[in-house]
Amino acid sequence: MLNLIRKELALCMHPTAFIFLIFAVLVFVPNYPYEVIFFFSCLSVFFCCMMGRENGDIAFSCALPVKKEHIPIAKMLVVFGLQGIVLLLVGILGAVKGAVLPAEQYVNQAGISANLALVGNGAVLLGVFNLIFFPRYFKSPDKIGVPFVIGAVVVFLLIGVFIVLRWATPLYSVTLNGLNSVNTGAKAAALTIGIVIYIAMSVIGCKLSMRRFHRIDV
Amino acid sequence: MNALEVKGLTKVYPEFTLDKVSFCVPQGHIVGLIGRNGAGKSTTIKGILQLIATEGDVAVFGKNMDVDELAAKQMIGYVGGGFRYYPMNTLVSIRKAYAPFYPAWDQGKYERLLAQFDLSERKKVKELSEGMKVKFALALALSHGAKLLIMDEPTSGLDPLSREEFCDIVLQLVREEGVSVLFSTHITSDLMRIADDIVYLSQGKLLAACPLKEMLNKYKLVRFSSLADATAAKAIGVKAVKEGYEGLLPRDMQISTNVTVSDATIDHIIVHLEKANEGEWVC
Repeated sequence: MLNLIRKELALCMHPTAFIFLIFAVLVFVPNYPYEVIFFFSCLSVFFCCMMGRENGDIAFSCALPVKKEHIPIAKMLVVFGLQGIVLLLVGILGAVKGAVLPAEQYVNQAGISANLALVGNGAVLLGVFNLIFFPRYFKSPDKIGVPFVIGAVVVFLLIGVFIVLRWATPLYSVTLNGLNSVNTGAKAAALTIGIVIYIAMSVIGCKLSMRRFHRIDV
Repeated sequence: MNALEVKGLTKVYPEFTLDKVSFCVPQGHIVGLIGRNGAGKSTTIKGILQLIATEGDVAVFGKNMDVDELAAKQMIGYVGGGFRYYPMNTLVSIRKAYAPFYPAWDQGKYERLLAQFDLSERKKVKELSEGMKVKFALALALSHGAKLLIMDEPTSGLDPLSREEFCDIVLQLVREEGVSVLFSTHITSDLMRIADDIVYLSQGKLLAACPLKEMLNKYKLVRFSSLADATAAKAIGVKAVKEGYEGLLPRDMQISTNVTVSDATIDHIIVHLEKANEGEWVC
């Protein structure tokens, strides 16, 4: 498995996989729907899969002395790693923003503030994307567009839901909004719930992907 | 022990069926897998490598692919029509990702092969000629101690000189290192030079699995002056040629009419058998 992960990192990473991590700095943009940052992470997965198809990566990998079902696990573990990094960066940079900028500039008119709850929202978005995209992709690795479009549409719908919640419910507009130092327990709970949902959806996505990939003809 | 044993390999697609294909590759032999386009050569190779789900048994040096796939794959070097992967990557980056999968990787041997093949690791795959790509694939396959080379049309796209050079390399590998080879191709002149045995597929069915000499000795090529003569002689797969008509006849068959007889090559045998569309066991 380690060899497969090393191979993924060496041969299968599109530059955007790393470039889009830097987009975590968008938390410093005033009045911006910060959940969009996580969509870029999804977009980089699409580019990596496209590159893999152009490189004949799946056929190359299947000819190696590895179990076929380990191939999707390795690919998804690398993606999970990158998603973990972007979640961490958003959390850290959001905290830095809260510490550096005046409190009034921390308020986001386009969505929730860059706090722990935002990271929880991001985890939910990424988990949903993983559950939608990967099983469809590994069912037919030559067809990347449809799984990505379905995943992207659902992610944007969810982003819309989070923005509506920010204005429509006190939970999101007051309790989970603003600095981490205010209502810290509630924000930490939102983060934890988000991460649990992310793990559950990603694990289910991974198992479905393994099962479907095992059945395909390369 | 056979290097490769294939028993009842079957794959059903909506419009094509690979039908219970069984053959073996004896140790130290070069076996040519032949047949026209769409005959099932690549499907057979994909089935052997478990790239597609098939029915039947495949064993590599006695190790069943279903039971011990990883150990079996360690002994296989796969050369799939050159090296069509990662065109934008350098050879060194591919080697670094590839080598750790094989505990028996021999870096010294790899470097010697690169030097022998005149390959630079700093080049990108897209900068290699088709012949160079095949050599790179061979270098990777041989450096992990593969005892069985499985090659899917490695010479298609190569010019005659490169094909000659490739055949020389394969012969050298078999003689000096005892490697066994399964080699699919529709360029049968390559096989006339190097193959020991032939596996002939037609429309997904196995029509021959025998030594090359046995197959060549079974038929003779006969040229008739008229179609009536050819029909009367019951020639197989009669077709018009520049001067008269041509068909196959069993080598031991006596012919009374005035005809020209010559040795049949693999090409002749395939062309006339496919023309006859008999689908019968050849040998």
